[in-house]
Amino acid sequence: MPNAALELDSVTRRFGPVIAVDRISLAIEQDEFFALLGPSGSGKTTMLRLIAGLEQPDEGQVRIAGEVVTDLPPYRRGVGMVFQNFLLFPHKTVAENIVFPLRMQKMDRAQQQKQLGWILELLHLQGLEARYPNELSGGQQQRVALARGLISRPALLLLDEPLANLDRELRSEMEVEIRRYQKELKIPFVYVTHNQEEALTMSDRIAVMRNGRFEQIGAKTEIYTNPASAFVAAFVGHANRLDGQLSEIDGGLARMNWAGGQLLVPRPADAKSGDRVRYFIKHEDLEVTAAGLNGGGLNGHVANDINQVSGTLRDIIFKGQTANYIITLPQGTDLVVSDTPRTITLKPSDPVIVRWPAGSGACFAAEGA
Amino acid sequence: MSAGSFGFGRRVAPTAIILAAGLVLLYVFLYAPILYVVYTSFATDVVWPFPLDFTLTAYEDLFASSLYGEALSNSLKLAFGSAVISTFLAAGGAIAVLRYRSRRRGLVMFLFIAPLFVADLLIGISILAFNARVLGLPGNLVSAMAANAVQGTAFGFLIILAQLVRYNWSMDDAAMVFGAGPLRCFAEITLPTIWPSLFGAFLIAFILAFNNLEITFYNLGAIPTLPSVAWGSLRFGLGPELFALAALVNAFVFAIFAAMYGLMKTGLVKFGYRGQ
Repeated sequence: MPNAALELDSVTRRFGPVIAVDRISLAIEQDEFFALLGPSGSGKTTMLRLIAGLEQPDEGQVRIAGEVVTDLPPYRRGVGMVFQNFLLFPHKTVAENIVFPLRMQKMDRAQQQKQLGWILELLHLQGLEARYPNELSGGQQQRVALARGLISRPALLLLDEPLANLDRELRSEMEVEIRRYQKELKIPFVYVTHNQEEALTMSDRIAVMRNGRFEQIGAKTEIYTNPASAFVAAFVGHANRLDGQLSEIDGGLARMNWAGGQLLVPRPADAKSGDRVRYFIKHEDLEVTAAGLNGGGLNGHVANDINQVSGTLRDIIFKGQTANYIITLPQGTDLVVSDTPRTITLKPSDPVIVRWPAGSGACFAAEGA
Repeated sequence: MSAGSFGFGRRVAPTAIILAAGLVLLYVFLYAPILYVVYTSFATDVVWPFPLDFTLTAYEDLFASSLYGEALSNSLKLAFGSAVISTFLAAGGAIAVLRYRSRRRGLVMFLFIAPLFVADLLIGISILAFNARVLGLPGNLVSAMAANAVQGTAFGFLIILAQLVRYNWSMDDAAMVFGAGPLRCFAEITLPTIWPSLFGAFLIAFILAFNNLEITFYNLGAIPTLPSVAWGSLRFGLGPELFALAALVNAFVFAIFAAMYGLMKTGLVKFGYRGQ
């Protein structure tokens, strides 16, 4: 393989008895937008700090652009970084903050000014050069932090939850922009986040982290549509979770006894009849219709390769482009269906039927079973 | 209904009057002796200076005496040297205590400030004995600087620690990632943010060493400083020039703080970065 932008080779970092990063191996290509997704405490920030050199691995090797940097201090690694709380230098102006990496590289002044002009234009920061960080809005501070990270065209840009402190509207705007810069500059980005929407919007590839290990790594569509574990299925996307017991195995499919009825679900690896399982089906994979004349009384019913359940519409959460239909099933549990709000004219407390293709969704052996 | 809401002008609660009176008494307690000394320095009769018979002879005597000139020069050198040593050690100690977390942090901090609980006299004698008998060093200006820095370091440590706990060390991480080595990082990022506390530690250490009698006396012997000359001249009674000296030293210290206050008020100097 030609030199990857970044390679980790069985990297481990322990803090006392806690293993924050556990034998992680990884290769990131040039031009790639890579997201590390995981809940807090999963080790993703520690991993980023290991790459930057702010932490030393206990075992393993880190290579940047083919060069072994495991024992190099952060100031000799030539990476850029964007921090969660920006970490702009408060006593320096915007321009001084942004050219800081170039000054440390002892680039000559004329060249520094040229690069500064280029990055200010790219990030729409013209006119703010002389301001101090505390005179900027959150979004502007974020742009300055990005400019500082990108100005030296580093071999790699590390981003540690850079949007966590921004409000929702600004965040979705920046998501699109950050992806655009990555594609334009062709600098590999490693983006740490606990927010699955950010990871899905921006990245090419995602690693879902948990307890210092990769739970799954792959293209984002793969992670989204084909989760490898119950953890990934629950963490990525919005899914209904149904717990049941397998009654019959049929090739790649299985029948799951659930709430007095049966559903046709994908067969978990090595699953046997009688195993307890957890089944995930995404909100948008479900379809809700008014219970027609022939409806009613369908509770866990498979017909013509369609799983069907009947229930009562409890509420509609209008979200603009979509709406969430919350359906209470006879035995008391709720199902959430995401659909366009215009197509259906349902009212709360209407009897409804929820349908989805048999065998879709993801099913795993119940943990701890 | 709260007081003052009936449109008869501001009503002042009785508790406020009592508290204000207490505050005034506190200030009198703190400053009356100092004001008395300044007042008396302009009097002909320093024993009973009421009413004031204005004269500047005390100041003339003070400036005429070559002893005080030499003593002032020694005191300034001593104070400056001691303040430099104290600030350096205190800053190093405070940074180390905050950056390198240890289970014995409490003990480390206590050992830094413990000299504050030891009498000046004991510090002076101990250092004299140790230097002379164990190290075989003579008492001179340098050993007096070092001896005074013992307390200066302890005070400086407390002052610097108080500001440094609010410093965000992740800022150093950012600087390092962008190519700054440890020294560069300190000079470019840490120092510009924390210098007011270093300056504060320097000032306190300077004033402590400048005013100190016991520690300095044992380590300097015959070399005069302002406090030792003042102490020595007491054998001949409380002379007028001592009042003049006290008034000038107080005026000097007051001028420093007034200048700092003025600079802060006009915004010419910002003492420290005050958060986002």
